[in-house]
Amino acid sequence: MDLLAGLIQTAILAGGVLALAALGEVLAERVGVVNLGVEGLIALGAITGIATVVAVPSPTLGLVLAMLVGLLAGMVFATATVIIRANQILCGLALTLMGTGVAAMVGKAYSGIPAPVTFAPIAIPFLSDLPLVGRALFTQNILVYVIYLVLPFALHHLLFRTRHGLDLRAVGENPAAADAAGIPVTRIRFWYVSAGAALAAGAGAYLTLAFVPSWSEGVVAGRGWIAVALVIFAGYRPWTAVGAALLFGLITSLGFVGQARNWPIAAPVLSMLPYLGTIALMIVPVLAWQKVRRLMAAPAALGEPYFRDVR
Amino acid sequence: MSIRIQRVPSENVAGGIAARLIAILLALLVAAIVFAISGADLGKLGSHVFKSTFGSRFGLMDLGLIVTPLILTGLAVTVAMKVGAWNIGAEGQFCAGAIAATAVALFVPGPTIVVLPLMFVAGAVGGMLWILIPTLARAYADVSELITTLLLNFVGALFIYYLATGPWLDPSGLSFAATKRLPHDVPSFWGDVHWGLPIAVLLTISLAGVLNYTRWGYEVRIAGSNPAAARYAAIPFRRHLIVVMLMSGAIAGLAGMFEVIGTTHRLQGGISNNFGYIGIMVAVLARGSAIGVIAGAALMAVILKSGIALQTQGVNISTVLALTGLILFFTAIGDELSHYRIVRSKPA
Repeated sequence: MDLLAGLIQTAILAGGVLALAALGEVLAERVGVVNLGVEGLIALGAITGIATVVAVPSPTLGLVLAMLVGLLAGMVFATATVIIRANQILCGLALTLMGTGVAAMVGKAYSGIPAPVTFAPIAIPFLSDLPLVGRALFTQNILVYVIYLVLPFALHHLLFRTRHGLDLRAVGENPAAADAAGIPVTRIRFWYVSAGAALAAGAGAYLTLAFVPSWSEGVVAGRGWIAVALVIFAGYRPWTAVGAALLFGLITSLGFVGQARNWPIAAPVLSMLPYLGTIALMIVPVLAWQKVRRLMAAPAALGEPYFRDVR
Repeated sequence: MSIRIQRVPSENVAGGIAARLIAILLALLVAAIVFAISGADLGKLGSHVFKSTFGSRFGLMDLGLIVTPLILTGLAVTVAMKVGAWNIGAEGQFCAGAIAATAVALFVPGPTIVVLPLMFVAGAVGGMLWILIPTLARAYADVSELITTLLLNFVGALFIYYLATGPWLDPSGLSFAATKRLPHDVPSFWGDVHWGLPIAVLLTISLAGVLNYTRWGYEVRIAGSNPAAARYAAIPFRRHLIVVMLMSGAIAGLAGMFEVIGTTHRLQGGISNNFGYIGIMVAVLARGSAIGVIAGAALMAVILKSGIALQTQGVNISTVLALTGLILFFTAIGDELSHYRIVRSKPA
């Protein structure tokens, strides 16, 4: 039972990075822009977070600054993809390379330093004393509750229960029709893509301030790409995205637990699990449930720049 | 007469090339400004870069070694683009090719003349196997090959790390994360520069010929640029997609094969050196042309080699990655801008 509780606790903690980054990507893709720069944004957020707390011992400040850096990087990306309307895939790859490269350059000085302050776990009274999973579910840091409960609730409400949410989904499905209906397509795309980038960078700060918690080159390790895959897997829905992130976190935590308990599998092989698991989860549902595909379909105008004068 | 700016669907070729040159110069300018702000002596860095690239025999040899995998990974990405697929996994296929070639070198006895062709085949097959699942998933389930090929990059790097620190570790105990020196080499023709370079150039030119001047190549290009039109014309889109993606993987695998047999002579962690990712940059710079792949690879080789040389001057090698991203970013923007024309029209 200890094993199960440990697995779940690590799964929740590990899944938090993916969940936050995936929620950001849901925002960008819902308005019709693929942001493949998530990996680079997480790296930028991760190094900003650790550099901040080394200078000023406040994890909250680290998170806020990381999200600001993400917002700025997102605005640069959105300027290129939404205003200039350059190829989204190339700009995303470029953002990943730039973010990863710059973070590694800056990170040299911080490599291996443990974060002096972190988002510490808070035990919720009574609930954390529940048998079996009480500790695993209710002794987590504050961000875990925000990422798994507050944010998906807020985003789901925004996307599916408000007029503004209808507008921004329309922008992702059919920008020409949205434009004709007087919805400001460019403005909506620009700001939601930027906000999504801020969340991705926040996921980086979560990584170095709540999960690992230190910086090393390669600490992001493809989590940004897993988050992008997860958004497709989750059908572009906030609640499904955090649920999927938890599932992906579970795969990661299997690897950790295996290493901690000296399972007779080499550590690098266990480290392959998240990537192989992600690929399996991208392929299997498509083959198994053909009918679900329509429900889980991508926004119709995803990846396509919108030109008012070219139809 | 009025002058206005208009967007047209077709790209302006001269504009595209100009966009690339401007992108590269802008990115280098940004890098120079960053170096200058961080207090580096630009003149000293510049002369060091020149000495370690074009300014010395060893520099030129290193460029010859670095350009070989870049031509091949760039070609791999370019070929996949022809059929409309994103092979972002050249890095992983490179690893698989290196692993397969090393396996042959370590475990197949015999004279080099016999084993060398076997390693060549193994490298290609290794890369092909590495892209097989993403290919089938794209062809039959429409799963984004961009993400699946990319995720396998991490698996490839971990696989090499596992082999080089575990079962294939150098038994002499002299190194901690590499195999023993492999018993066979690709022959060299100039200093350390091996025959991989002319083979890569030849492969690029002949593939360009096949894609541009055969019926098959024509069908592939149609399938890539407009799958719907291809279907109406009874062009077997799925079959072309599968064949071309497997070819792409095989080419990237060859890059890994040449790197391990010709350049490093051992399988070791970090052997892929971001060649796969820089290959994407090469392909984008090349705009689908064979000459472009070779020129793009040469340019990126100079940048990569400069980055390696500047490590001794306290410049982080990750600068190369950031700079590559910057060039890619400016190129993407320039490409879009080259769709615009200035139109002069006389009033009616």
